[in-house]
Amino acid sequence: MMPGSDRWDASDPWARRRYSRREVLKGAAVAGTGLSLAAVLAACGGQGTGTQTPSISLSPGFTTARPKKGGSLVYARRAATETLDPLQNRTGNGDIFAAELVYTALVRPDPKGSSDLVPGLADRWTVSPDGKAYTFHIRDNARFSNGDRVTAEDVQFSLDRFGDPKLNAIYGVLAVGYEGTEIVDESTVVVHLTQPVSAFLYNISILPAFIVPKRLVEQQGEKFFDRPVGTGPFVVTEWLSGSSITFGRNPYYWESGKPYLDEVRYEFITDDNARMLALQSGRAQAVDGVPFSQIESLKNDSSVYLQFTEVPYFQGLWLNNEKPEFADLNVRKALQYAIDKQTINDTVYAGVGTIPNSVLPHLRYDAPPSEVPPYPFDLSKAKQLMAESSFPNGFDTTLQYPAGFGYYRQLVLILQAQWKEIGINVRLIEQDQGTTSQRFYQLDYDMTFPYAQFTSDVVVPDEYIAFVADPKSGTNGFFSGWHDPAIWSMVQEFLGADEGTRKVLWPKIQKAMMEQTPFINIMNLPFVQAYSSNVRNPYINALGANRLEDTWLA
Amino acid sequence: MAVYVGRRIVAAIPVVLGLSVLAFLIIHLVPGDPVQQMLGAHATPKTVAEVSHRLGLDRPLLAQYLRFVSDAFRGDFGRSITMNQPVTTLIGQRAVATFWLLGYGVVVALLVSVPLALWSAVRRDRIEDQLIRLFTTAAFGMPTFWLGLVLALLFGLRLRWLPVGGYTSAFPELLRSLTLPAVTLGLSLTAILIRTLRSSLLETLSSEYVEAARARGLPERRIVLRYGLRNSLGAMVTVVAVNLGFLIGGTVVIETVFQIPGLGSLLVESTLRRDYTLVTALTFISGTAVVFMSLAADLVYAMLDPRVRLG
Repeated sequence: MMPGSDRWDASDPWARRRYSRREVLKGAAVAGTGLSLAAVLAACGGQGTGTQTPSISLSPGFTTARPKKGGSLVYARRAATETLDPLQNRTGNGDIFAAELVYTALVRPDPKGSSDLVPGLADRWTVSPDGKAYTFHIRDNARFSNGDRVTAEDVQFSLDRFGDPKLNAIYGVLAVGYEGTEIVDESTVVVHLTQPVSAFLYNISILPAFIVPKRLVEQQGEKFFDRPVGTGPFVVTEWLSGSSITFGRNPYYWESGKPYLDEVRYEFITDDNARMLALQSGRAQAVDGVPFSQIESLKNDSSVYLQFTEVPYFQGLWLNNEKPEFADLNVRKALQYAIDKQTINDTVYAGVGTIPNSVLPHLRYDAPPSEVPPYPFDLSKAKQLMAESSFPNGFDTTLQYPAGFGYYRQLVLILQAQWKEIGINVRLIEQDQGTTSQRFYQLDYDMTFPYAQFTSDVVVPDEYIAFVADPKSGTNGFFSGWHDPAIWSMVQEFLGADEGTRKVLWPKIQKAMMEQTPFINIMNLPFVQAYSSNVRNPYINALGANRLEDTWLA
Repeated sequence: MAVYVGRRIVAAIPVVLGLSVLAFLIIHLVPGDPVQQMLGAHATPKTVAEVSHRLGLDRPLLAQYLRFVSDAFRGDFGRSITMNQPVTTLIGQRAVATFWLLGYGVVVALLVSVPLALWSAVRRDRIEDQLIRLFTTAAFGMPTFWLGLVLALLFGLRLRWLPVGGYTSAFPELLRSLTLPAVTLGLSLTAILIRTLRSSLLETLSSEYVEAARARGLPERRIVLRYGLRNSLGAMVTVVAVNLGFLIGGTVVIETVFQIPGLGSLLVESTLRRDYTLVTALTFISGTAVVFMSLAADLVYAMLDPRVRLG
């Protein structure tokens, strides 16, 4: 952000945003509806990396036709919802995506999928010239689902919860620099920071900074979150632990006319096959987490369509830099060159992945592959690097990965075979998710896939790069044991810089990280959703959340 | 009889105690930490230590175990670490679906097994018997997660007779939603039931008193049902009770495949999240249930057959 000059106004929220590929394609689709999914996929594969705006590929369900009100949508989801307390998170996206329907933050990620922020409960805001004070104006029609007005007190209460490390144990890192919130009048607050935090607006655009009503939370305590009163498009009407959660329309939702659906029900279906069955049998109209192995068969099913959303989701392979093998830069680079990522994309991910040009997931400010190229598949280069390393005769090592995800076994077998070519003998260790991530936190691994799904909470790089590069973060190089003072000083400058400078600085950090490759990004992956053919406009934001406020049934 | 009952109950006590140790240790000894699972990669070691302390997870294992046993003795299993609710409440919510599934599954198993076993015994070594034995071998070999999906594919997706999954707690929709899971569970038990009942029937039908009955000209149907089936029922009671553990194990898979909010799926979820209190309670309670069911089966068997309690 440009301190002092940055001003957002609800009357012109789109003025500053770049047009994403999807927006352009939308026009094309309106002109001729014959656009086939295959064409969309081709476009997706070709342009994925490098666009600064994560965007979804166009699917037949997107239209500018007049929405029809009413109807009920059943959404089969992989992860269950277990808490709607924005500061708790038990099931990752299972909790996050339900909270997205119920609450709103002051600002929010563009619901249509770009990496920009758009107004939420605040219709406008200004930033002080020193970048340490943000003044927010709460929109006049901001009401909770019980009809109460959203007041400055509610905002102060919610942000103080966000800023309290005791209450906000999980996302405390996002509250970096938060000092306090000052009430100016009924609908204006000033948030004070101890230092300029460039990502501040992004940090308060998600889960832990959702606005809750002060009076009710104080009265009801934890019980409040069983039937929360929020400002999102929907309200919880029924919640069966471990089975489903049902939402009804929030009559006081601030975006007039929305949402269009009368009812949304999330059914929690962990098993991949069972979840797909729910869609194909018509029991559900939407489904998330489509397994890569089923993409081909769903493409041939005319009663459903697929949606690929570019989100900061990647197949992160972690290397333990405290082991002599992986402390050797030549070895780390040899590992990169020896991976045939194209083959992996085709065989494991049904071709929907994108070959990464960063060791982190695809994030805002990423330079295109023409500027920061991906590691090409080059066996002779890999062999040469191994010869120059301290392990010219190769070595034996292990690779841990989480059980229960079909594609992992394919992936690790391919990697094992490819690395054998350069003399690295990998023993595979399959163990459940809990064990894998625990050993990751303790640096008890050689190489590991610490999580089945690895995503960033925000679309800007600040969160991840601080984890990795900040020597004081307590996460030991994001549990890789890697440290680099030169990169950390670049990152420090980036974290407090204005938007224009950040755009320049980030590609340099991206490139330096790529060169160092403390860990490996095997593939950038999209979220894959599928819908019945009558579902319209299931927009997903750049973090993968589907608020369903624009969604309707034809 | 009273002596026998007393002896059996006393014998069950060390089993239950041993079970409490196992239930407690199994999940605590597996790598993985509930707090770290809950807080994720974002949490610094300091936060993890604080939350662990708040939950009492930093105390010595023995102290935690003694606390668990003394609380469990009073029927209190503590609060779930990750769901922040009393464990008994959570189990109470989820138990209903599992009871229905188990009950329905056993009924299906008996409805399939008893006639097939009778037919198989009567037609011993004939083609019918061979086919039924082939069926039991196949049923025994089919993994429940696969069978469940195939049934869902056939009756849910192709024929659209039954829902492919989910659970409704109200009648009669309850029976409809549980039919496919119950058939899956029941079929997994039929192999054992048919084989047990068949061999027990064959033994009875070739015994001397049955020969004597035949010699007196009693109709075969009456011999099979009155003499054969009745005498084999004791064995059936034991087999069903002993296999309760097997059935509970089956619910873990079946509830996940068919999205039934029962104890089995709760166990899976809580294990993945290393929810110590919940996993320990679930393991202990289902283990104790198995112990008491086999105790009850022994007692019923003793009532049916005096030789057991006197021997």
